[in-house]
Amino acid sequence: MSPSGAALPRSTLSLQARLLATVLGLVGLVWLSVVVATWYDTGHELDELLDAHLAQAASLLVMQRLDELEGDNFPPPPTLHKYQTRVAIQVWHEGRLVVRSTNAPEAPLGFGEAPGLRTSVIDGEAWRVLTTPGREPDVLIHVGELESARHDILLASLRSIAWPMLLALPLLALGIWWAVRGAMRPLRQLGQAVALRRPQALQPLSAHAVPPEVAPLVRALNGLFERMADLLESERRFTADAAHELRTPIAAIRMQAQVAQGATREPERTQALAATLLGCDRAARLIEQLLQLARLEGEVARGGGAVDPAGTVSADLTATALGLMADLELKAQVRGQSLALLAPGPVHVPMPGALLQVLLRNLTDNALRYSPDGARVQLSMEGPAPGQVAALVVEDGGPGLPPEAVARLGERFFRVLGTGQTGSGLGWSIVQRVARLYGLSVSADRSPALRGLRVTVIWIDTPRADIDVGQSAGLH
Amino acid sequence: MRILLAEDDELLGSGIKAGLTQQGFHVDWVRDGVAAERELLAGDHQAVVLDLGLPRQDGMDSLRAARARRIATPVLVLTARDAVAARIEGLDAGADDYLIKPVDLHELAARLRALVRRAHGQTQTRLEAGPVTLDPAAHQVWLDGATVELSGREYDLLQVFMLNAGRVLSREQIEQHLYKWGTEVASNTVEVHIYNLRRKLRGELIETVRGVGYVLRRDAGPAA
Repeated sequence: MSPSGAALPRSTLSLQARLLATVLGLVGLVWLSVVVATWYDTGHELDELLDAHLAQAASLLVMQRLDELEGDNFPPPPTLHKYQTRVAIQVWHEGRLVVRSTNAPEAPLGFGEAPGLRTSVIDGEAWRVLTTPGREPDVLIHVGELESARHDILLASLRSIAWPMLLALPLLALGIWWAVRGAMRPLRQLGQAVALRRPQALQPLSAHAVPPEVAPLVRALNGLFERMADLLESERRFTADAAHELRTPIAAIRMQAQVAQGATREPERTQALAATLLGCDRAARLIEQLLQLARLEGEVARGGGAVDPAGTVSADLTATALGLMADLELKAQVRGQSLALLAPGPVHVPMPGALLQVLLRNLTDNALRYSPDGARVQLSMEGPAPGQVAALVVEDGGPGLPPEAVARLGERFFRVLGTGQTGSGLGWSIVQRVARLYGLSVSADRSPALRGLRVTVIWIDTPRADIDVGQSAGLH
Repeated sequence: MRILLAEDDELLGSGIKAGLTQQGFHVDWVRDGVAAERELLAGDHQAVVLDLGLPRQDGMDSLRAARARRIATPVLVLTARDAVAARIEGLDAGADDYLIKPVDLHELAARLRALVRRAHGQTQTRLEAGPVTLDPAAHQVWLDGATVELSGREYDLLQVFMLNAGRVLSREQIEQHLYKWGTEVASNTVEVHIYNLRRKLRGELIETVRGVGYVLRRDAGPAA
């Protein structure tokens, strides 16, 4: 490949250059074909016209008697036109050249005696020759004209068309360049407006005074800005909330540690140290939840990949719950709470065991946390039924939640105030995130049996989670 | 010094209360924004430590309400909201200081002392009245340059008098400044402490204004 040919891939040419090249190329092509067509057309017309002139000249000679032409009776024809000198005359009598114009060659212009028009080459020059018998039958008249003369006339007539065309081409290029530049101005201005923006400036671009061709781009950009602003805002809020939630336990730990440091009496010191440890536990739980949430969000960002069509990923709900209860039993006993499990046997759900544990732990932990001392928390599960793979119900004997609080559950860091509990509200966010990943239906209402909150999780039986999981995972 | 603490987090609130008590403050603790506003309006405290994210009412609203009612009590906002905009909003709402959690106990105490000092128009860290000098940070009192040993209550009482030097204080006002809620105050307790102060310092330092209360003169007599 030649270096010039490898210059730029087509796509990197500017629109302007591409448009300019295309239009100029097309115009050039059209003009070239006009010139070619004119050349042939005019050449043909010219030939007919000049052939007719040859015939006229010949017919005048035919009317002369031989003796009128011969010898001194025939003076050299006067030159009446600049092209006339190229017209040559030969009169042959019995094979002898009796009359010839000065510009005519010695050799016969025509071959043979056949009358008519033909082209012959004499001394390297092309002639157009009309051959006709004279008045007397043994007289042969040749009237010829140099082809080059005709060529000159044709060129001269074409020049008058070609010049304006050639002159107009650069002017046209300039005009196109100017017009295209003007047409591209909205795009350039748009580019500048976007380029000058600070990353945080996400207000929509003005869609006024934008050509209809550019409007879709502006709309698309504005849509992107809006989504980015939403994302940034939710990130900003999350960071602020996370900072708030982390700062408070850390502030408590620090304060209690300093109290322990400055305590003069043993009970005061012991109490402050116990409070410090409590703060550490709280911070640890919060960090654990934040990490879970971050991992889940990473999972979502990777496109979920959660529901595997082959159904190879599976965990036993009952076994996971039993393992979890052994873990939480001790904590429940401290507050005199009881944990109960109602299960028909192994219940398999299509999700990894680790995530199932995250889901179960957060639901159970919340139930225990927001139930009063001595309350009962009950986990019950069901196997396959029409429309479901499995179902899990977590009920508690707590105060339950008013409907407006239920609606806000799952907002990160939303927690129901006045519960005297130190949750961060992250548990519900995590539950919702898992639900969204695996297309679970999660709903909350009042438990008829225990009078507290009842949370129902259903693994919906669909061949493939093409359903809008955002909808099905939403709380109602 | 009586301090109002408005903080909804149990662990942090108990820590601040215990820590400030160690530092010689008397701390009353409320856990929601409505109670904070009520106590701010009551005006029984020399300074307030105010969390912003409080249940029932945001701390910022409590602060605004108090400032709208011309309550001048110094307020130190202690919050996890660290955005510059939040700080500006807090200060503009009438906060005198803005601290981000977590905070050092000693810094918190020092800032509270500074707030109280400035609120009383004092620019010196040490309070002085005639021959008596009081250093709030060191919790020490000098008479003519010699250290005077005072009990906790006597020290608190003297600080109240020195911060309000030249102003006549009623017995009720003094009690409000000195005692936390729920403290049983015997009818003659204040008189007993004033008697002790006069004995340990100088008799003419604290004057009795009959029928009204007591006053500490700013220029409480020349050094003898």
